[in-house]
Formats: sequence, C-alpha cells, structure tokens
Amino acid sequence: MPALLEIRGLSAGLRGRRSVTPVVSDVDLDVQAGEILGVVGESGCGKSTLAAAIMRLLVPPQVLQSGSMNFRLADGSYDLAQLPARELRQLRWRQLSYIPQGSMNSLNPVLRVERQMTDTLLQHGLTKAEAHKRSVAALELVNLEPKILESYPHELSGGMRQRVIIAAAVSMRPALIVADELTTALDVVTQRQILQELAAIRDELGATIILITHDMGVVAQIADRVAVMYAGKIAELGTVNGIFEAPLHPYSQGLIGSIPRESGQRVEGLPGEAPSPWKYPGGCRFHPRCPEVFAPCNERIPALLPQKPERRVACHLYDAEVAADA
Amino acid sequence: MTADSSSVALTNEQQTAERREVFQYVLRRFGVYLFTLWAAITVAFFIFRLVPGDPMNILLGNITRAEGRQRDAAEQEVIIARYRKIFGVDDPLPLQYVNYLRKAILGGLDLGPSFVEYPAQTKDLVFRRMPWTIGIFTTSVLLAWLVGTGLGALIGWLQRSRLSQLAVVISTLLQITPVYLVALGLIIYVGYTWRILPAGGPYARHLQPEWTWEFISSLLTHAILPMLSNMIVIGAGFTLGMRALMISVLGEDYLTFARAKGLSPYTVLKDYAFRNALIPQVTALAIIVGATLNGTFIIEVLFQLPGLGTLFVQAMGLRDFNTMQAVVLFSIFAVLTLTLIVDLALPLLDPRVRRTA
Repeated sequence: MPALLEIRGLSAGLRGRRSVTPVVSDVDLDVQAGEILGVVGESGCGKSTLAAAIMRLLVPPQVLQSGSMNFRLADGSYDLAQLPARELRQLRWRQLSYIPQGSMNSLNPVLRVERQMTDTLLQHGLTKAEAHKRSVAALELVNLEPKILESYPHELSGGMRQRVIIAAAVSMRPALIVADELTTALDVVTQRQILQELAAIRDELGATIILITHDMGVVAQIADRVAVMYAGKIAELGTVNGIFEAPLHPYSQGLIGSIPRESGQRVEGLPGEAPSPWKYPGGCRFHPRCPEVFAPCNERIPALLPQKPERRVACHLYDAEVAADA
Repeated sequence: MTADSSSVALTNEQQTAERREVFQYVLRRFGVYLFTLWAAITVAFFIFRLVPGDPMNILLGNITRAEGRQRDAAEQEVIIARYRKIFGVDDPLPLQYVNYLRKAILGGLDLGPSFVEYPAQTKDLVFRRMPWTIGIFTTSVLLAWLVGTGLGALIGWLQRSRLSQLAVVISTLLQITPVYLVALGLIIYVGYTWRILPAGGPYARHLQPEWTWEFISSLLTHAILPMLSNMIVIGAGFTLGMRALMISVLGEDYLTFARAKGLSPYTVLKDYAFRNALIPQVTALAIIVGATLNGTFIIEVLFQLPGLGTLFVQAMGLRDFNTMQAVVLFSIFAVLTLTLIVDLALPLLDPRVRRTA
C-alpha cells in the first residue's frame, strides 16, 4: 500500500546573508495511513522545522530548499512542497491539520473560542449551523462541553486550551494531523488524558498523526512507529516495540538508555551536546559523540538503509559495504 | 434535563458577574479621572504663581504705554492696589487656592477675570478660542491616527517588501522632525514660494464669519496647512507604532495557527493581526493626544490662528495666570476625557482588560 505521505529528499534551513544553514537535511520518510508516527530527538535537532516544512508554515529566514512531499488522497496526489498557496489553503484543515508547539498561545486572546473554531469551517464552505454542529462534535471528542464555545481563551486552563486546539484541528476530519510537542506545557496527568484522547480520535476518525516530541515516554505511550532524529537527519526508523527493545543506532541506544526505568538504577546519559545547525560535523553528524565511532564515520555520510524487517538505520556499523572497505 | 438547566443557571450567574466587573471597571476609571483632574488643576495653580515677574507691574506698564503718560508713584500704587484686590492676590496662597477651587466648581466655572482682555472673563475667552483648537488639533490627530494606523498595519504586514522598508525610513525621518520645522517648511514653500495654499490666518482677511460657501471654503483652505503640519509628524509616529505592533503580533503563535487553519490572508490580517495590534494602538492615541497638544499651540502661533495656543502665549507675556491656568485646565480636561473614553472603550476591544484592570 502506498504511503499517505511520502517525503523524499526534504531539506530546509535558515537563510543567512551568504548561505543557507541546513536544519533538516535530505530527509526521506513514509507516513502510512492510519498510523501514529512519533518523531523524537533532542531540542534543536530539526524536528519542529520538519513539522513546519510539512505544513508549509516555514517563515523567513526559514526556507524549504529541496525535496518533495507527496500527499496521497482519494481524489488525487498533491506535492505539498510545490502546491500553490490557494490550493494549499483548501487542503489545510480539510485534509491536513496542525496542532502547534506552544499551543498555550495559539488561540487569539481577543476572539471567543467559537469564532476561532468556526471561521475556518465557514471559509471551507460550511453553513453557520453546520460549523457550530461540527465544533460541538469536535469538542465532545476531547471531553469538553459545548458552552466552552462562549469563552475567551484566558478563561480556560492550559489543558482546556490544548483540547480546544485539538478539537479545532480535527473538526474537519482531516486525513493527516501534525502535532508538534502537544503535551510539553502540561502536567503529567493532563498529558496522559490528552494523549489518550488523541489515540481515541485516531481510532474514531481514522486519521494519521505525526507526533513530534522530545519525550520518549510519549512516543512509547501512543506511537506505532518512531523516527529518531539527530542533527537534522533521521538516524533510525522503525516500530516502537522494535526500537525500544533493540535500538540499533548508537544514538537511539543512548536515548533509550537515558530513560529512567527502575528506582535506584543509575541513568546513563549521552556524553556531549547536540550540535547546533551552524556546527554540524562532516561525515556522520553523530560521530563526535558516538561511543562506537570508527574510520569512515568522520568522512562518509551514512545512508538510511533497511536492516531487519520494518527498520531503517543510518549508521556505518550496519552497512556491509562500508564495513568491507574498512 | 437537570444538567441543562443547571448549566443555564451558571451562565446567567456568570453574566451577572461579568456585568458587575464591567460596572466596577467603569467606576474605578471614573474615580481615577476625577483624581487626576484635581491633581493637575492643583499643580497648575501653584506653578503659574511661581513664574517670576509681577503681573500687576506688567499690566501697569501696558496701561502707561497705552496712555502715553507717566503717572506719579502714589497714583500707580492706587491702581495696583485696586487690581490686586480684583484679582485677589493679596490673600495668602492657600486661601487663594481654596477660593479658586470654590469659584471654579461652585461658581459655574468662574475662573476669574483675565488680564489679556480685562475685564473679560477667562472662561469666556477660553470658550471663544476653543473651537479653533478643537477643530484643528482634534481633527488632525484623529486623521493622523486613522491614516497612520492603516499605513502602519500595511507596511507591518508587508514588512519584507522594499516599498515597506522605504516607508519606514521616510516615517522615521518625518517623526523625528520637530513640528515647527514642518510647519515653517510648509509656510515657506507651499504658502509663499509656490503660493498654492494660504499660509496664515484663520480665513481670508476680507471675509466675515457667516454661513456662506465662500467663507467656509476659505476657512477650510486656511486649515489645510496647519492640519497637515500636525498630521505629518503625528501620523508618522502612529505609522511606526502600528508597524511595530503588527510585526510583534505577526510573530505570535496564534498567527501561525491561523495560517495553518487555511484562512484566507485577508481574514488572518483582519481578525488576527490587525484586530490584536489595534488594542495598544488605541491606547497610544490617548497618550499621543496629551503629548502633542503643545505642538499644536506652536502651530497656532505660526499660522496666526486665534486658538488656545495663541491665547496662552499672549497670557504668558502678561503673566496672566488666570488665563494660563484656564488654558491648561481646559487642555487637561480634554486630554483626560479622551483618556477616559479610551479606557472605557478598551474592554470592548480586549476581553482581558475587564478582568485585569
């Protein structure tokens, strides 16, 4: 079955005076219909830029440099990277929704919730009554009462605001939802409730969700597959169970090793810091921090190659060709 | 059913609470208004009495010059004594202050006689001159605000275009130019060198105030340059202010979200960017009115308009503190009233103000 979203060679960066600093480099990623794909990585690894690139929400100095994003729908296929603004606008919310990072400030403080939920629906051609009905139904999905429509954002708690954003994002039953750090600002209890609601929405609407997060726990809780990002590239891609049980990439191993498991057990952290886009090292971008670094790592860029079933890794350790050379 | 009725009851309760909050807000604003008015009057009262130079001597000097003969010392003493009594300046200062407030509040705005046009009452003098100042000043500030807000919103929205960047440079230059330089420039070039528009006076010399088209058109053409000088400088400030507000709103998360929702650029601009940037811009209007009133006084003098500014300058020359105080009182009243109106209008624009203020 072809993927719902097929990203090929996607690069995005920050335009400076003379050159473009790469933030996301040459990303290939298939998102299957109906799955929840977690994208994890440390702060600054480019995961939010990837989300913004998929949503075509990059603002200068951020620029989309190259690549294609084939979005396959029942009525045809759209390359999100090339789509003209007008067509993109029609696709948004109807098929492609966004739950932003910093959801706390994503509602306009001076408009009532109803206005902010329905204005898009009205522009997508719904009548006032339909828009209202859809909004109420969407609020129900996240366990909010209809009377919240009358409120201003400042009258709501953080968790409620986050739920309103989710409700707004799913009100048109989109095929794909990109959720960027949606639980970051919430306490753990609210966080778990909202993740459960999101999983229920996926089951009920049959939506596909790309979940961007720095929190391995969140991924473990609701994702089906996970893409581990490091320094603007995908290091490893596979099922959640597969990667958690047997991470292949030394970076994934480090990430998973840093999750506290039992009380009393010492948590192993990764040595060093993630590089900023201005200082991405040559060769494999992880090699300065890698415990298993060897000869080709600082020269050759590892490709994201298939390994076991349902697994891809970008690491020379697993590349037979490189191993043969070395 | 029970759940329904209880939720309705809650809404009613909330509405009552909201109404009470609005009422308290209005009451509080009005209290602040009255207090500020009183404080300003008090400061004005004492400050003008500290200005060096005895108004009586200046008045006497004027009488002497007018009559062209020197009186002897005894006669001068008598005249000064009489005037001192009329103006009540022999009383101790605190008593003068109390009398002033008493007459102003209980005596139907009796602000004492003026020196400038003795024995005319300062109140009448101010009321006669007021329409000029209101006409020129208020209209030009409001127009400047409308134009500046629109222009600023536009160049903020198109912040990366060349034209927008050029507009910023021009606005900055105009904003830092003193208003009297702009006025003088307009008088010299538009008024005298090119002779496009009249450069001084309230209306053509040969006309009398009456409801004829000739008089009104003369009035309006004479008003263009003074209003333009005010508008250029103030408007440039409003433009830059609104641009900065727009740019900061454009960086807000809710703007990204609005774009992600697939709203048309026009809706994003109107309901999300402009709507939110407008709130501080309305407050700026009230602040700017107070800050630019003195500029208008200069403009009145330069364009020879019989407004409060020229009256103030005349009164200053005579140390006529009654008139000076009356002009200041009026200005303070106008500025504070406008601030009050803006304060009361803000909750309509910004739901958060009702709670936090």
